Amino acid sequence: MAINLAGGGATVRKVRRARLIPLWALILGALVMALIGTSPHYAGTDSYVVGLIGKFLCFAIFALSVDLIWGFAGILSLGQAVYFGIGAYMVALSMKLNYTLENATRYGGNIPDFMEWNGLTEVPGFMAPLLSTPVAVALALAIPTLLAFIFGVITFKRHIYGVYCAVITLAEALILERFIVEYQAYTGGFNGITDYSNLRGAPFLWVIIAVTVVCFLGARVLTHSRIGTVLKSIRDNDVRAEFMGYNVANYRIFVFCISAFMAAGAGAMYAAWVGIVSFLDTGPLLSVEAVIWTAVGGRATIIGPFIGAFLIRGLEFVLSGLDIELAGRSIAEYWQIFMGALFIAVVLWIPDGIVGTIGNWVRKRGTGTLGQIREDQDRLAHDRQHDWDPAGATKPGEERV
Amino acid sequence: MLQQLFMQSLNGLGVAGILVIAAAGLAIIFGVAGVINMAHGQFIMVGAYVAAYVDSQGGSMFLAIPLAFIVVAILGLVVERGVIQWIYDRPLETLLATWGVGIIIEVIMKFIFGTLGQKVGWPDLLDGSIKIFARPPHFPYYRVFHVALAIAIMAVTFYIIYRTNFGLKVRAVRRNRSMAGCLGIDTAKIDMLIFMYGSGLAGIAGAVIAPIKAATIDMGFSYAVSSYMVIVLGGVGNLLGIPTGSFLIGEGETLLAFRYNTVIGQLLVFLAIVIAIRVFPRGIFGYQERR
Amino acid sequence: MAIKRRNFLRGSATAIGALTIGQAAPFYFARNIAKAQDGDTIKVGILHSLSGTIAIIETSLHNAELLAIEEINAAGGVNGKMIEPVIEDAQSLVQVFAEKAKKLLLNDKVTAVMGCYTSASRQSVLPVFEEYNGVLLYPTLYEAQECSKNVFYTGAVPNQQLDEFEPWIVANLGRKKCYMIGSNYIYPKETNREWKALLEISGAENMGEEYAPLGHTEFSTVLNNIANSGADYVFSTLVGDSIVAFYKQFKQSGFTAEDIPICTPITTEQETAAMGAENAVGHYTSFNYFQTVDSPENKSFVERYKAKYGANEVTNAVMEAAYFQTYFLAQGIAKSGTDADALIYEGLPGQEFNAPQGPVKIDEKNHHTHLWARIGKAREDGQFDIVWKSKERIRPDPWVDQLYPNKDCDFTNQSVLDRLKKPWSEEKNRSGTMDI
Repeated sequence: MAINLAGGGATVRKVRRARLIPLWALILGALVMALIGTSPHYAGTDSYVVGLIGKFLCFAIFALSVDLIWGFAGILSLGQAVYFGIGAYMVALSMKLNYTLENATRYGGNIPDFMEWNGLTEVPGFMAPLLSTPVAVALALAIPTLLAFIFGVITFKRHIYGVYCAVITLAEALILERFIVEYQAYTGGFNGITDYSNLRGAPFLWVIIAVTVVCFLGARVLTHSRIGTVLKSIRDNDVRAEFMGYNVANYRIFVFCISAFMAAGAGAMYAAWVGIVSFLDTGPLLSVEAVIWTAVGGRATIIGPFIGAFLIRGLEFVLSGLDIELAGRSIAEYWQIFMGALFIAVVLWIPDGIVGTIGNWVRKRGTGTLGQIREDQDRLAHDRQHDWDPAGATKPGEERV
Repeated sequence: MLQQLFMQSLNGLGVAGILVIAAAGLAIIFGVAGVINMAHGQFIMVGAYVAAYVDSQGGSMFLAIPLAFIVVAILGLVVERGVIQWIYDRPLETLLATWGVGIIIEVIMKFIFGTLGQKVGWPDLLDGSIKIFARPPHFPYYRVFHVALAIAIMAVTFYIIYRTNFGLKVRAVRRNRSMAGCLGIDTAKIDMLIFMYGSGLAGIAGAVIAPIKAATIDMGFSYAVSSYMVIVLGGVGNLLGIPTGSFLIGEGETLLAFRYNTVIGQLLVFLAIVIAIRVFPRGIFGYQERR
Repeated sequence: MAIKRRNFLRGSATAIGALTIGQAAPFYFARNIAKAQDGDTIKVGILHSLSGTIAIIETSLHNAELLAIEEINAAGGVNGKMIEPVIEDAQSLVQVFAEKAKKLLLNDKVTAVMGCYTSASRQSVLPVFEEYNGVLLYPTLYEAQECSKNVFYTGAVPNQQLDEFEPWIVANLGRKKCYMIGSNYIYPKETNREWKALLEISGAENMGEEYAPLGHTEFSTVLNNIANSGADYVFSTLVGDSIVAFYKQFKQSGFTAEDIPICTPITTEQETAAMGAENAVGHYTSFNYFQTVDSPENKSFVERYKAKYGANEVTNAVMEAAYFQTYFLAQGIAKSGTDADALIYEGLPGQEFNAPQGPVKIDEKNHHTHLWARIGKAREDGQFDIVWKSKERIRPDPWVDQLYPNKDCDFTNQSVLDRLKKPWSEEKNRSGTMDI
């Protein structure tokens, strides 16, 4: 099995020689974006479909941020919504503060209603900078990136990866969620932040599309650059990469920060577009869902997260309103069971995801490079976790379970 | 003030007991098979519903505990044979698959039992409290029971792992899977049995947690996350990691909740854990691989 | 060879998946088209969370509304037309509530929507209903301080549950030292604000106030504080799982209902069933409706609910509101037709119905509902003995007089109506709130 690892390098060289973006992909992508961008014209500006499309685009960027660290660098984060959510909350707070300055709340005051019913009489000083939109956007991007940097330094410098990293990030998301619900005077708590004038319609949709395109092109460039190659080598075998002289921890921190930056941007646009931010947008559920979008769409592919986010979210929206009786009850009451089955099916039968599997067919490569490498690498990680026992770590007589 | 502090640390002990019970199954599965079961919370929930069923039929909780163990162990067997056995090699993807398993279990349980919370009572034996001080709050018997059960579960697990032939094989697989396989140990079967045992423990956890509140569909998730934190802090290199991690988290959260508030308590404990893993990357009782 | 077989398996699995979706899609759309062409029904949206964390409560509201629709249709529908429920699952996500509300109004073109449970969900759909002029019937008791011409609130507001409750505790239980414990969000905070005003009026003491995180189930610390404060009763506004855990731990820690009773405007039969009646015995709840209300309407409601959803089910006040608001809607449509403006200004205001709790009426001025007040004492079978009942139904006051003496809502006032007639873009404040 290890033979294929040597082959991995050859593949990478081949890809690097290929065109960065094939012409057909460029045309197809432009067509899809044009179709999405003109949707307000044929679906109507008010249509919920337009609202959904803008939201899904933000989710697609968010999923791409997960794909960058998971698909291309082998870091599974189950708390990526932390960065998405902080970005979203910064922008939502800023918009809400500005909105209430001009439109009195139902209590008649000019500060957000959640501050009023918590006994605040004016906007607290540390929130004042958020009144300026550029500052708010800058903070929405900077704080998550900084947080990711700190988190990365703490964990990756100590070679905490794999399942441990996943579990810690999951707890991180859960705690931020609880924190936001608890400190409702500043965050809106359980009710979240709602009722501010969100940006709607074609102009902002084009902004989202532009950012989406930039993010996907950027990800393509990054993953096909030298850094991307190193990241993939780290993903496939971090010990070897380290022996080759690469500073594995720094590469991981770098890509983790890029990913958090991207997630924060997605969150910021999401808050501006949807007009509602709730504590669930920072929690474990959304984080895990983003991982699932990526897995279904295709891990380690650029377009996979996009397809996964649209497909799963779209499917959820349709299924949850599907009032067809099956087994005596409306499907809307138990549609989730299909989603659960889908996740299992994807993991068991199409581990490369939709895009990855199609790619494998096109290249007629059997299980495909990624599938093969991933299995090897995970098996290595698995074995190492269990077998690695450096001399002296276990003294005779000291049993370990 | 002193009385409160004393009661509070006793309560912390009770919380730690619950954590041990909830985390033991998860830690054993992770320690041996290398799989994190994201459906662990739902397994706990199923155990709670078994207890609720026994309660509604007039049975005692002491009957519910073994029954919950058996039912959830069988559930674990089904999940292991049906899903996990194919993906042991891909630990990260087992997270996703078991997440899907969790969703399915939730929907099925909702179908069977409806959405109402189900009542689970205490046996009369545990109804009441130790009156340490003259006025309430007293220390409830069920907290004593949680701590005692936690100790019992750890003792039984120690015995199985260190004193039985099966345990010897488990340790062999844990130490070196391929070598154990070469020596004729059926590693797949060991994985399966351990998964069943760990799942069964989750069932017990549900059966004894439910009487504190009620059996509800979404009760398991927060306990599952606490269990993950126990594993991260305690480590799975040694069984002692489970009680150690549980004790630190349980006491830490309870005492800090007393001093500040619950959320700050949880936040501080989380930060402490993140800092602790700088020192113990594999948990306090983990394999210390590289330095 | 093995690889080929695996390829084949994967290929066929994907193909089957594609086929299933391919078959389901036309079916789905065909069904929707059939619905749209069918002009003989009145479409009513039902928007509750059937999955996610809040589904546990909202499913029962969904059930109660479907039961009422079934009954109305069985009795011949409204003006000869059947009511057709359009069911949506909002997944306990506030954004989904807003999206689904938009879909129901703009795509399904429903006459009205019944739905939402939490304040968070109502606030998220409120702008949608105001902008697209829809009608929402909202069944939950809530913290009030809100009026919207597009929303009809059929649950209780604080003045209907609290104003009589506090003096009753002082007079009948003789207790004047109150400890307040609530879940940490808007409803308990606002309710406790009013409760404190009531305490002050009757000269009772506030011994402490504490908020537990939502979903919190470890109350040892809180119990410690209650014992320390010297309070002689507890006013609880805990919600959800916390209720059950609090009552149980309260009893286990050695407190009794005789020493320190828990008084609450929230705990219903659902929670007493979940905690085991022995943990609730002797504690008090103030509500508009209990399953034990002795009226023929209630008996038949409980009977039919159990017949449809199972003998173990219990009914409670929020479900009852969900049930009778469906009748409000049917009567409103019968009166004024399905046009939204007609419903808002003619059909629904002033509508009366003989509900399980007694005759109820929608207030013309503020779109809330006149409800009865009752105080129940939990007994050993998990039901409540009604120990006090208001002599007449109580007028809802969204801006309670103790806190907002100069505020009220009035949708019959001409100046408010003139303001509301302006287009949405010019006047975003659809609230009927005015200073008087």
